[in-house]
Amino acid sequence: MEKFDVIIVGAGLAGLATAYTLAKEGFEPLVLERGDYAGAKNVTGGRIYLNPVRGMFPADFWDKAPLERPVTTEIITMLSGDAATSLRFRAAEFAAPPYQSYTVQRVKFDRWFGNQATCAGAMLVTKSRVDDVIVDGGRVVGVVAGGEELGADVVVACDGALSLVAEKAGLRKPGQPQDYAVGFKQVVELPEKAIEDRFGLPAGEGAAQLFMGALTRGRFGGGFLYTNKASVSLGMVVGIRDMMDGQPPVEPGVLLEEFKQRPEIAPLIEGGEAVEFSAHVIPEAGYNGVGKLAGDGILLAGDAAGFSLNMGLTVRGMEFAIASGVIAAQAIKRAAEKKDYSAGSLSAYRTLLGDSFVLKDLATFREAPHILDNPRFFTYYPELAGRILRDIFSIGIQPKERFGPTVRRHFGLADITGILKDGWKGRKL
Amino acid sequence: MNSIVCVKQTVDLQQIRIRKETREPIMENVPLTIGDIDKNAVEAAVRLKESGGGKVTLVSAGSEDLEETIKEGLAMGADEAVLVVDRKLDGAESFVVATVLAKAIAKVGEYGLILLGEGSADNYSGQVGPRLAELLDLPLVAFARSIEVAGGKLKAVRNMDDCLEAVECDLPAVVTVLSEINEARIPAVTQILKAGRKPKEVLAPADLGADLAALDQKVQTLANIAPLQERKQIMFKEDADTAVAKLLSALQADGAVGRY
Repeated sequence: MEKFDVIIVGAGLAGLATAYTLAKEGFEPLVLERGDYAGAKNVTGGRIYLNPVRGMFPADFWDKAPLERPVTTEIITMLSGDAATSLRFRAAEFAAPPYQSYTVQRVKFDRWFGNQATCAGAMLVTKSRVDDVIVDGGRVVGVVAGGEELGADVVVACDGALSLVAEKAGLRKPGQPQDYAVGFKQVVELPEKAIEDRFGLPAGEGAAQLFMGALTRGRFGGGFLYTNKASVSLGMVVGIRDMMDGQPPVEPGVLLEEFKQRPEIAPLIEGGEAVEFSAHVIPEAGYNGVGKLAGDGILLAGDAAGFSLNMGLTVRGMEFAIASGVIAAQAIKRAAEKKDYSAGSLSAYRTLLGDSFVLKDLATFREAPHILDNPRFFTYYPELAGRILRDIFSIGIQPKERFGPTVRRHFGLADITGILKDGWKGRKL
Repeated sequence: MNSIVCVKQTVDLQQIRIRKETREPIMENVPLTIGDIDKNAVEAAVRLKESGGGKVTLVSAGSEDLEETIKEGLAMGADEAVLVVDRKLDGAESFVVATVLAKAIAKVGEYGLILLGEGSADNYSGQVGPRLAELLDLPLVAFARSIEVAGGKLKAVRNMDDCLEAVECDLPAVVTVLSEINEARIPAVTQILKAGRKPKEVLAPADLGADLAALDQKVQTLANIAPLQERKQIMFKEDADTAVAKLLSALQADGAVGRY
């Protein structure tokens, strides 16, 4: 059996960050990726927050990275059946470098990142699927890829939300529908100028728009729209359990088509060509979904470790993946110095993660999945906002009422108790 | 017996998109690969080596990316590569490529077979094999669906579409293979990693005494555009029954489906 220092399963952000960092430390990690190239199978909505991970890489790394547009404008839109309520926010701070977040397309970014890792000294083998882990006396000692056994001091499972490697190594149980969502999106190409005109953006700047309400037909989830350089990423995220509910169950493609045809969306993408379709599973369990992170000879990073956080208004995963990869590399370096790859030695990984934003942010927002799993966010509130604003803005034949009574009419006792209950639950956010 | 396999680096055709305005293929950032039928030729050569010994040399001409792309063939079991690298060789016409390959093959040493795919994955002109046989003055067996080497002779079955033809010839010979000849192997990870360390001789056309500018170009590319596809862009948004009826009558009106 051929033996390697470190085998990393999956060339996503976690895997590539592990490989890149290890290679810079003089290791020769092997990355196995089942896609044709790094990024071929990877999906984001897409935006990446850079501040938490900027310092983990050389100063010019992010300047060279093929990112799309810095996000300077945030838009939140609540959709009811026949109304849309939007909040648009732009702050000078977000519109000046260093930008806090960028829109990104993984097909481009991961491929570039893969090249950076290879140039640093990592080995990347694509079109290679890992089917099993080799366990010897409770220790993970390698993987099986394409029928071939490959040995390693440490295996790093970066094989995504439904990590087969973590499962085979006994570190995770098969997932439950309520702990996952499915994201699906299209990339629609538009001229740069059209994007800036339609979204009211200064040249080169980008917008991120999140949607909640009628588009998911009351299901847990929402929609998103991110402006890339010369395309927009338009898609939705829906809880898998909710997706399975209802007879007959609704298909993602149908929801996305309905969303695209809404009057709030159709003019934004008119004339554009849909050039890419993709879908992916997203961990939604937050902190409570994070289980064991290390075993004898194995570490989990990125989605495979459950590092993904839906905070309602921001959805984060990529910077957790990158940071956990970098930290996994640091833990492996320490283990290599002692030549001890046992679970005990590798437990430095959890300690380091615990000191970082990864586990801190996940812990801070541990109640978020519980709070967000509330059908009222997807039906009641978007409709309430639409109804109130409709009454405020409408001028009819009858003399107009004062605003106070107009608004108050929408808050009966049941409404107020409901809102107070949601507010009480939401205090933990 | 030693074999030579000539392979061509092309863009991965699965990843090609067409630019809507110009109908031209978008070639930027498309991954490069060795053509699928070329891989069948490599597979055939490696199988001959596995059963009868000898070594397999890959010979190819193309842009500087070739050094990376050729690893795919080396990982499949070829032993070494001779690469003629020049930007102008990327997409060069069959005559130029055959001339350069013939000169490179002259440097390889003793061989029994030169194998190629029946046509390249991109242009599919099917000319390089026959031209090579002519330039090297060797027998040509084109469109082989099976080959066998015994007693210093090549036995092959050619697929002529309406019939099969069994032929025999002396070695050395040039053979172009069909995709049906075998199923190309997917190399194991360790083979892929070892491929990077296999010997590669990288030459410039000048090293072979080939002056690309002086070669008489016979083909001029006037345009490379996708066929025009008129989309009707009609969407029926009614309930299923109405939408189907409307779709059917629209198709009938268009003459797309027959009358009942």
